[in-house]
Amino acid sequence: MSESRKPRLTRPETLTAIGIILVAAGFLIPTVDLRPISALLPAAMLIGLIVLSVFLLLADQRKAKAGEDAAPMTKSPKRVLGAFGLIVAYAIATDFLGFYPSTAVTIPLVAWIFGYRSPIGLLIATVIVVGTIWAIFDFGMSQDFPAGRLWDR
Amino acid sequence: MYSDLIHALPDVFALTNFAAVIIGVIAGIVVGAMPGLSATMAISVLVPFTFGLEPLVALGLMAGIYNGAMYGGAIPAVLLRIPGTPAAVATTFDGYPMAQKGEGGFALQVAVVSSALGGIASAFALMLLAPPLSRVTLLFGPSEVFWVAVFGLASIIFLLGGNPIKGLISACFGVFVSVVGSDPIYGNDRFTFGQLEMLDGINIVILLVGLYALPPVIDLLETPLKTDGVNSTKLGTESLWKALPKMKGFGMTWVRGSLIGIWIGILPGAGGSMAAFMSYNEARRTSKNPDAWGEGEPEGVAAAETANNADTASALIPALTLGIPGTAVAAVMLGGLLVHGLQPGPMLFRDNPDIVFGFMWQFLFGAILLVLLGGSLATNSFARLLNLPRPLLGSVIIVLMLIGVYSIHGRMFDVYLMLGFGAVGWVMDKLKFPLPPVVLGLILGGFAEENLRLALRIGRGDWMVLFQNTTSLVLVALTIAVIVGPTLKKRYIDSRKAA
Repeated sequence: MSESRKPRLTRPETLTAIGIILVAAGFLIPTVDLRPISALLPAAMLIGLIVLSVFLLLADQRKAKAGEDAAPMTKSPKRVLGAFGLIVAYAIATDFLGFYPSTAVTIPLVAWIFGYRSPIGLLIATVIVVGTIWAIFDFGMSQDFPAGRLWDR
Repeated sequence: MYSDLIHALPDVFALTNFAAVIIGVIAGIVVGAMPGLSATMAISVLVPFTFGLEPLVALGLMAGIYNGAMYGGAIPAVLLRIPGTPAAVATTFDGYPMAQKGEGGFALQVAVVSSALGGIASAFALMLLAPPLSRVTLLFGPSEVFWVAVFGLASIIFLLGGNPIKGLISACFGVFVSVVGSDPIYGNDRFTFGQLEMLDGINIVILLVGLYALPPVIDLLETPLKTDGVNSTKLGTESLWKALPKMKGFGMTWVRGSLIGIWIGILPGAGGSMAAFMSYNEARRTSKNPDAWGEGEPEGVAAAETANNADTASALIPALTLGIPGTAVAAVMLGGLLVHGLQPGPMLFRDNPDIVFGFMWQFLFGAILLVLLGGSLATNSFARLLNLPRPLLGSVIIVLMLIGVYSIHGRMFDVYLMLGFGAVGWVMDKLKFPLPPVVLGLILGGFAEENLRLALRIGRGDWMVLFQNTTSLVLVALTIAVIVGPTLKKRYIDSRKAA
């Protein structure tokens, strides 16, 4: 009985289907300004996405009505959000602070937060990885990495 | 027809090209041995780094990784009962009981020899079957090419199994991403929203890294695997030459596993795990002592490992000739070919024979190299890989992903775009939306649109031009068969069960 009381609209598949419908409908607006032949394939795909998502939504709601529980997307949402947040933060830090300082901090920080707590191991790994990247890409291939927008100003 | 194959051989032996295969095989074993990482992910991360490399160096790395990872997956499967790759699930059935009996080293040697033999058979199948098939496809015009693209997408959606609605959504998403950028004929912008970075469309590598590399990294950090570590001295490994005579009764299992793996590889949508299961079941069914299976029967390891390696190169037969990949890894490899300006399909064989045939040789040598890595020293060393801390590995992969994507055009915009695709990929992965149709949609979408519009121009806007020749009609019939076939088969099986 407890399952049936769970909100039916917050099931992951239902939310995903609603999300796809909204985004696809949003993308349909600019197709109006395109030449018909240019708009043909994108419009077909967007309409396809909307129609298919409606089917997905109905199928999921039917399952909900039958009392079928939706499988959780993750067992530890905090860890997933934390991992994704750290990756996004690393990208932003690279953009604004520069590649090398961000990388030198991110490698030990991510590993430490997610359970690898050996300071010597972290130090050695960071030095090896950052050093190898510098030797191969910067020194060997003259690859430029972001220097950081903050320092450009 | 096969003279190009011989002409391509000297290039493969160039030092850098051959070294690439060796490095690829070792890297592949390392990746395969790490549960949570896969050949698909490794090649996705690798592709952007190959921009500046010669095509044969890049392709050699990919061929090596693919071969190596398929064997590498057997290491944790045998030692920890955790398959390193999905294709290694069947290897756990007998591999792990062998390790518990102190025969882990021998199980790994059976795996490496079987993997090598499967890979060699698969490479020969690619060499023998792809050239004649490519000749047939040379006769295709725009309408046939359009139908090939539709057939490819339909195959991967409907034969992959799972929910066809989700497969279709994945494919629509991939095709939609392929139309972002300038219109190929009129040049007007489509869905760029004024971003200059989007004018050339979305680079396939950004999508590949986002979809295939980011979700496994998040999984790696989400559930850190606790292992007790592997003490390699307990493996009981001996020299490969001493171990080989113990495998002399495996001949039929190797042949059967190779044939099953090659066939499954060619079929779009099927994969190494299906090949390994089928081969294992067949070998067990025909065994004189089926009761010993599951208790540590080395032939079980041989059956599974031969088949999951035999589907590697053969998955590239439809990929190279028609642009339809047999597996997810093959779909990613198509992306790797595109990065080097090599459009999969019949023209590839005509315009770049040295590269495409060289790639086939690299698959063969990659498989042979596996045997050289089956000695006791290498086996013990690879077994120690399981002790690497996963959070550290995850953080290093994050850095490699950023470098790879940034290096494409030297701009952070691509990195943010990759993170967006990564988030989408993670949701898709968790909700069991298949990822290969997205990649194939991106690869075939632009290709299909261009040929559709060309066919309509030839037919002066008449849509019947798409149905006016026998080849097109055959392809339409095949597409319908692929769409309807699984449903009819299911109904047939259900009716048989009911009866």
